[in-house]
Amino acid sequence: AADKIRLIPQDFFAELCEQIIQHLNHKIPGVNTAELCQRIQTSGVEINVGDLAKIANILSFLFSTAARNNLSTEELVTTLGSAGSTLPKHAVQVIRHVWNEQGKAIAVSEDARNMATVGQFVDMKWKLGVAMSSDTCRSLKYPYVTVTLTVADPSGQITDKSFEMTIPQFKNFFRQFKEMASVLETV
Amino acid sequence: RAAAERPRFAPPHPLCSPQAPSKDAVRQLCQECFSSAPAALGPLAQLACPGLAVSAEEAEQLVSALHNLTRHVVYRGLTRAEDILCLFPENFHQNLKNLLAKIILENITAWRNEAQASQISLPRLVDMDWRVDIKTSSDSIIRMAVPTCLLQLKIQEDAALCGNNPVVSALTVELSKETLDTMLEGLGRIRDQLSAVANK
Repeated sequence: AADKIRLIPQDFFAELCEQIIQHLNHKIPGVNTAELCQRIQTSGVEINVGDLAKIANILSFLFSTAARNNLSTEELVTTLGSAGSTLPKHAVQVIRHVWNEQGKAIAVSEDARNMATVGQFVDMKWKLGVAMSSDTCRSLKYPYVTVTLTVADPSGQITDKSFEMTIPQFKNFFRQFKEMASVLETV
Repeated sequence: RAAAERPRFAPPHPLCSPQAPSKDAVRQLCQECFSSAPAALGPLAQLACPGLAVSAEEAEQLVSALHNLTRHVVYRGLTRAEDILCLFPENFHQNLKNLLAKIILENITAWRNEAQASQISLPRLVDMDWRVDIKTSSDSIIRMAVPTCLLQLKIQEDAALCGNNPVVSALTVELSKETLDTMLEGLGRIRDQLSAVANK
């Protein structure tokens, strides 16, 4: 993965580190690797989402371990050097800078959110549509609901999942959520 | 487009011959011809051939014609016997015409549902399970009582792309009280929109 880090331009690498630190500080729900990857690709760099995700994971682990052990900037940079990995100089510079500015602020926070073992719900977008016609039925008038769930997985990567529901399914979906909410109230 | 063309039958008709299959066999053949994708008609014709006592080529023509006829009826949304009967050529065997029209009318609703279920779409929600937990402690927090929801959605990828082996993926998501309220708010707005549309 150190090889792939080499490919990322410095400003994008800095942005990635910033997002990771902000995620660890619970300021943002997760790191939008897909979106960042697209911008990096547009700038002409050939890197895929999988590689970027691996790099994000490594950096996240690095920063959170450093936070837990209360490493100073110099200690962090020394550890990086002695770990045997050959990080490109610009990457080390970014890590040093980001840690200096914001590293100490990563409290080992007393927070229930720290224990994510499954994806965390971030947002829901929806659309109500009517399919008018298709290659099998000229006149359909078939209503349906499309939902996109934005989820931050345990490593902090943000992904979208889209799916469709029929109207009866939607009604059941809504009913289940109301039940969940009422159970949550009484618990 | 095949579905829009008028289907054609070559007389004399194999389904009218003395060795003609029973009404139930004709019914089943119609159902298979409708459900079959165009690419699968060849194999279907081969299977049907022995029961029809016709040549391989005639079996292919027959299966193809039945496929086009049934798909055409569903595509156009025809529901009346007269509309279906007038699809047949004038010199077509009367009893067979009536039998086929009857079979088609019996199956129209089921076929329409089948067409809707298999049309292109985003992945579909097929199942939903949930659970409410209380987080009581962890390695960093000795005591707490944080209620949380675990939701698992089972989502089936587009049937049209997966053929007979649809891929179902599970999405497990945790919701806090706040995020659950966000979700409910969104769902409530969908419900309001649905009522507004239904009342128009």
